Amino acid sequence: MIEMQNLWYAYPSGQTVLAGLNISIKRGEFVALIGQNGAGKTTFLKQLNGLLKPTSGVVKIAGMDTSRVKTAKLAQKVGFLFQNPDHQIFLPSVRQEIAFGPKNLGLPDEEVEARILQAAEAVGLTAVLDENPVFLSKGQRQRVAFASLLSMRPEILVLDEPTTGQDYRESIEIMEMVRELNEAGHTIIFVTHDMELVARYARRIILLRQGRVVVDGPVREVFYRPELLTATGLLPPQIVRLALMFGENSPLGRVLSVEEAYEAIVGWGGVAHDRCG
Amino acid sequence: MTGVAEYVHRESPIHALHPITKLIWSLSVVTMSFMFTDLMGQALLFLSVLLVAGLGRVLRETLPAFKALFLMAGLFTVFRVFFIQEGQTLLTLLPGTGLGRITDVGLRSSIELSCRMVVMAASFPVLLATTAVKDLVVTLVEKLRVPYIYAFMFVTSLRFIPTFLREMDQIAMAQRSRGYTGEGRNPFRKVVALAPLAVPLLISSVRKAQRMAISMETRGFASGTRSQLHRTRFAGRDSSFLLIVGVMFVAVIFIKTKGI
Repeated sequence: MIEMQNLWYAYPSGQTVLAGLNISIKRGEFVALIGQNGAGKTTFLKQLNGLLKPTSGVVKIAGMDTSRVKTAKLAQKVGFLFQNPDHQIFLPSVRQEIAFGPKNLGLPDEEVEARILQAAEAVGLTAVLDENPVFLSKGQRQRVAFASLLSMRPEILVLDEPTTGQDYRESIEIMEMVRELNEAGHTIIFVTHDMELVARYARRIILLRQGRVVVDGPVREVFYRPELLTATGLLPPQIVRLALMFGENSPLGRVLSVEEAYEAIVGWGGVAHDRCG
Repeated sequence: MTGVAEYVHRESPIHALHPITKLIWSLSVVTMSFMFTDLMGQALLFLSVLLVAGLGRVLRETLPAFKALFLMAGLFTVFRVFFIQEGQTLLTLLPGTGLGRITDVGLRSSIELSCRMVVMAASFPVLLATTAVKDLVVTLVEKLRVPYIYAFMFVTSLRFIPTFLREMDQIAMAQRSRGYTGEGRNPFRKVVALAPLAVPLLISSVRKAQRMAISMETRGFASGTRSQLHRTRFAGRDSSFLLIVGVMFVAVIFIKTKGI
């Protein structure tokens, strides 16, 4: 679905941001892109829909070379959620805001209407469809922005820190929505600083540092190599750190969540109990 | 990214001058360019501005501004030359029709006016490249008794230009991600096509201004009389520089009145 071959990117000022990336992401993957501020995460994301073009190397999205195709065209395949929803909201109602993308795609009115309703329902905005988004809360504005992408039905969703500025419950709600979309077949690539969210939702981690890939692999494997994370100033989730203290051979093993740890402990207790009996 | 007429931080005798000295120099150049009517005088004056830019080691940085000035002056000449119909005909663009007639009087006065325009404006890029706007404003408040709040408004509006440019970039990217192309054939549609960019910029600027006002008030802005941490002082080099400008000024007046 996404192919990066020896991707280099430098700003016009000459500063290199991405240095020789070779990454392949298949349909239906759920990828977390992590790294410190300035590691090149946002620049990486902007390569995915042609907002930035490679200085050298190739980025292919569903077979389309991003340096040859316009962003407006790539937008049909790749939906991009920006950190700040206020950069895009400009219409006087939530309904119109959600309709902007599909209309740009030149879809017929009935189709646009159907997509508005579906997208609004997916993010829980049906009740405020006719309100002015400017007067909604920040969390709701983020959902408006999200719905305006969903209505374009892109196969790939690119989310730049989708949970910043949201409280815990809102964050979980947004990520649950993303999970459902992933289960429905969408490819997800998201940036976050919240390792608990990564452990809970993502299946693959790409860790960037100064424009290079430090490690690229399944979440469980990456989190259980803490030396890679600490080198870039990140810490694995608390439950992973706890499990690491007990070592690989403890009954906790390589758990990723509190639920898994609970299962492991209960299972182990059961075994011990049996042994006693 | 350095824009035209931006401050260039550098060590030079011109940078070391007091902002007021440079302001006086700039205004003197404007006044002198009004007194000269002949091209020779304007050329000498322009050379003197280039000399100051050279001394300030900002010649390379101010060059784009000078280029732009010359371009504008050139266009101005071309437009103006056809509106003066006195004097002898030098050239007619459409022979036989009398349309597009260029006369000797017209050509001469157009070129003179354009040159004056260039010289008048030429000192400002040099002034701005060698003086930080902050220093200029501090001296305006301190020495010329401009109310601080006006000076502050001026500096703030300048300081927000790069912020808005960055914001605009982000907005354009966000809209392109939603399939926005910004295309429109006729002028009306072009204006309509700007809305997805203009409206978010407006809303976010208003939000930003509100936040800034609150953050300033919580830090006690305008709650009493102000004092300055750094005071600027006139030095010997300011007197020497002003003396040279003064001598030039007197010389120009002398030449004009004697009609040499």
